[in-house]
Amino acid sequence: MGTKDRYERLREQATTSERDSSPNTLLAVVSLAISLLLLSPLVWVFIRAGEIEFARALELLTSDTTVSVTLNTLALVTGVTVASIVIGVPLAILTVQTDLPFRRFWTITSALPLVVPSYIGAFAFVSAFGPRGVLADLLSPLGVEQIPTIYGLHGAILVLTLFTYPYVFLTTRASLLSFDGTVVEAARTLNHTRWEAFRRVTLPQIAPGIAAGALLVALYALSDFGTPAIMQYDVFTRMIYNEFGARRLDYASVLSMLLLVMALGILAVESRLSAGRDGAYVSSGSRRPGRIRLGYWKGPALLFCGAIASLCLVLPVGILLQWLLRSGTGYSGGGFSFEAAYAWNSVGLAAAAAAICVVAALPIAYLSARGSSGLSSLPERATYVGYAVPGVVLGLALVYLGLRYVPFLYQSVILLVFAYVVRFLPQAVGTTESSILQVDPQYIEAARSLGYHPLSAFRKVVLPLVAPGIAAGAALVFLTTMKELPATLMLRPTGFETFVTYIWLVQGAGYYGQAAVPALVLVGLSGLSMLVILRREDTS
Amino acid sequence: MSDSTDTAGRNVTQSRRRFLALGGTTAATALAGCSGILSGGDGGDGGTGAGAGQISLSDFRGSGPLVAQRDAPGGTSIEDLPDLSGELTLYLGGGEGGLYLDLINLFEQLYPDFTANHRLEASSDLANTIIEENEAGASPADVFMSIDAGSLGAVANAGATASLPEEALSTVPEAYQDSEGRWVGIAGRARAIPYNTNQISESDIPSTVREFPEAAALEDSMGWAPSYGAFQSFVTAMRLIRGDDETRAWLQAMQDHGITTYDDEFRVSNACADGELTAGFANHYYTLRVQSARESAPIGLAFTEGDAGALVNVSGLEIIDGTDSADLASNFVRHVLSAEAQEFFATRTFAYPMIPGVAPVGDLPRIDDLNPPDINLTELADVAGTVDLLRDAGVL
Repeated sequence: MGTKDRYERLREQATTSERDSSPNTLLAVVSLAISLLLLSPLVWVFIRAGEIEFARALELLTSDTTVSVTLNTLALVTGVTVASIVIGVPLAILTVQTDLPFRRFWTITSALPLVVPSYIGAFAFVSAFGPRGVLADLLSPLGVEQIPTIYGLHGAILVLTLFTYPYVFLTTRASLLSFDGTVVEAARTLNHTRWEAFRRVTLPQIAPGIAAGALLVALYALSDFGTPAIMQYDVFTRMIYNEFGARRLDYASVLSMLLLVMALGILAVESRLSAGRDGAYVSSGSRRPGRIRLGYWKGPALLFCGAIASLCLVLPVGILLQWLLRSGTGYSGGGFSFEAAYAWNSVGLAAAAAAICVVAALPIAYLSARGSSGLSSLPERATYVGYAVPGVVLGLALVYLGLRYVPFLYQSVILLVFAYVVRFLPQAVGTTESSILQVDPQYIEAARSLGYHPLSAFRKVVLPLVAPGIAAGAALVFLTTMKELPATLMLRPTGFETFVTYIWLVQGAGYYGQAAVPALVLVGLSGLSMLVILRREDTS
Repeated sequence: MSDSTDTAGRNVTQSRRRFLALGGTTAATALAGCSGILSGGDGGDGGTGAGAGQISLSDFRGSGPLVAQRDAPGGTSIEDLPDLSGELTLYLGGGEGGLYLDLINLFEQLYPDFTANHRLEASSDLANTIIEENEAGASPADVFMSIDAGSLGAVANAGATASLPEEALSTVPEAYQDSEGRWVGIAGRARAIPYNTNQISESDIPSTVREFPEAAALEDSMGWAPSYGAFQSFVTAMRLIRGDDETRAWLQAMQDHGITTYDDEFRVSNACADGELTAGFANHYYTLRVQSARESAPIGLAFTEGDAGALVNVSGLEIIDGTDSADLASNFVRHVLSAEAQEFFATRTFAYPMIPGVAPVGDLPRIDDLNPPDINLTELADVAGTVDLLRDAGVL
């Protein structure tokens, strides 16, 4: 490092704008390129929509059915998001900030429901609480003739919430862990009550974390097909699916556009809520506050944690075990033997998707966290659109575009992994960004004033600090890829089966018994990667 | 009932054999081959595939209470067909279609040189995929094996099929194949009424679907699965027969009468056995599946007549345009319509066999005794209009 170099750097530092512009421009170009690539499948929606007459499109968009289905969808998304916050935030606070007994155990059980595919959860709830289900059988000797129906809006909200609230739990927990607890203690010494201290000090600090989790929950609820279908509640994805079934891809694409508009709406609401995140940085939060003593609340708190864990974990696993034990499907024989290769296929795909997402997320997250202008979070926002696209829409888009423009990739693993990256990248961007936000920017300036190139300053200073966030993002992508069904079905190479395609197949043919073991193994394997997330988090 | 069915089955079997003998080509071998397969392959040494001796009719035939004491199937035996050899890519309609994998596995065991790559998804999704692939110039699929005629019709109407072998088409009644020979049925699926035998008797069930909204015994106690392909085909058939207005009125009347919605017809049938429903609309074989799994379950099966309610839809096959394995694909289609494969469909999936030499299981009426409506099954491809109508009527 010559004197001239050093002089250059000092000169660079003289003006803030100049200092930030060069690496940011490169970052912006890379990030923009990635997000454009990820959004490219949506071109299909517009191509197909262009084939429809304007009058017909308008008629369809303004029909009574469209309006009522739109309202249904909004009700579902709102209900699931609010309920997820109501469950996820208290669980995060209980497991991070209080003297709850067995906190480690409850941390794991609170995060684990994310590994249960929501369609399996929905089946389990119908088996347990549906008419003539397990609960009805248990109650009928007691003279209970009818139980309230599980079907409809409340059932769909219940099931989706129970298997997606961990997004809010995990992001809130991460904010709480990195948050400087001494601030709360300072507030308390200023005679704030505990509630006031929470509302005025803690809440503003963890709000971006809550909002990030809530965004993932809302977009998931918007794009999920299986749960509302099983709960017999009419939402957008179901209408789109019916249009596909009816081979009317043009109408389906108009509806898909409407769904994208709703996703953009959710993104706008979220960005307004987390607008204050510039202040989210707090000096690296190794200083934990004193644990809040629960006192008399210990019992109710344990009951709350136990109830959630029972509904989310004990119940579905119990139903799967019941499938396993209850034999007889009405068919003799059965050619669906599970092969170890399916498990390897699943794991390989999920690992590839996770690795690519981590690499692609880094520049986007960094730009969004450190960028100087409002535009710098545009690529980050753009990636969330892919997350809101239902798997079946993305699948059809890639079938259409793949066949025409990259036929050699059609039905290849590459195109399949690309689909996963489009859908799940935001999970990696979110966790990476929040951990970058928690790194003091002065560290980098210090490193650079010591003569490090921006990239190597990043590698030596920032990367080690954000590694846990990146690992958590990778694990999230891994988990969700293992569970993904519709795009996997449509894009996988012929003859290439995975856990979920196998479970879907045997379940569809009524071989519940044979679906049980792979489903349990899937849950178990995904659970292991969840433990990785939590373990890393603790040692960080 | 089952006795008379057996007698009828034997008669048809015999006449079928006579037909083969008159056909004259390899009559003696055909009979020897048939008995050879029946006795576990000991007698059949006609120089067919290397593995032929290891696979017998019992491998194709199911077991259990519904399959006891069946006669030998009539029709062309696998032993009289050329060996399957080479690699075939099959798109296989999902759900029950998954069971067809067992059959394909048997073929692979029988012919070590034969490999079938398969892709399993819902039939309508695969039809969409094939149409997309065909529009883009090339489909990797050689054969599409679908669980409903509507999907087969959609692919055929999109011009994505190649011609089927005459030997295969000639064995299947004309009602169960495309009039232009673009697809052929391989197993029949009759619309039926599962009912709870504790709550109702067969005589309480109307003989036409038209009368269901007025049936007092069924008020607020029926179920259907309107998002299910088989139900939509049934409604499509009703539209073809009675027009959209009458169909809409019927759907409306059923809702006013009180009907519960389910995801699929296996669940409808199970709900009847559980007493949750008195009766439902479902394909016939779901009831047989419930009976086979739960022998004491109080579930019976009734058929209506002469209207859409008596529709017999088919699982079927078509060869995809542009295949470079046309001969193998043709030979494969002939294998699926062989005596052994048809016995497989009858006894393992409880479907109606498509060749006259093979009888349906249990006390199911013969396919000729059903009174299906006179419609062209290819027209069942108009699912779009049906989905519109269902939505319009507030059913979907």
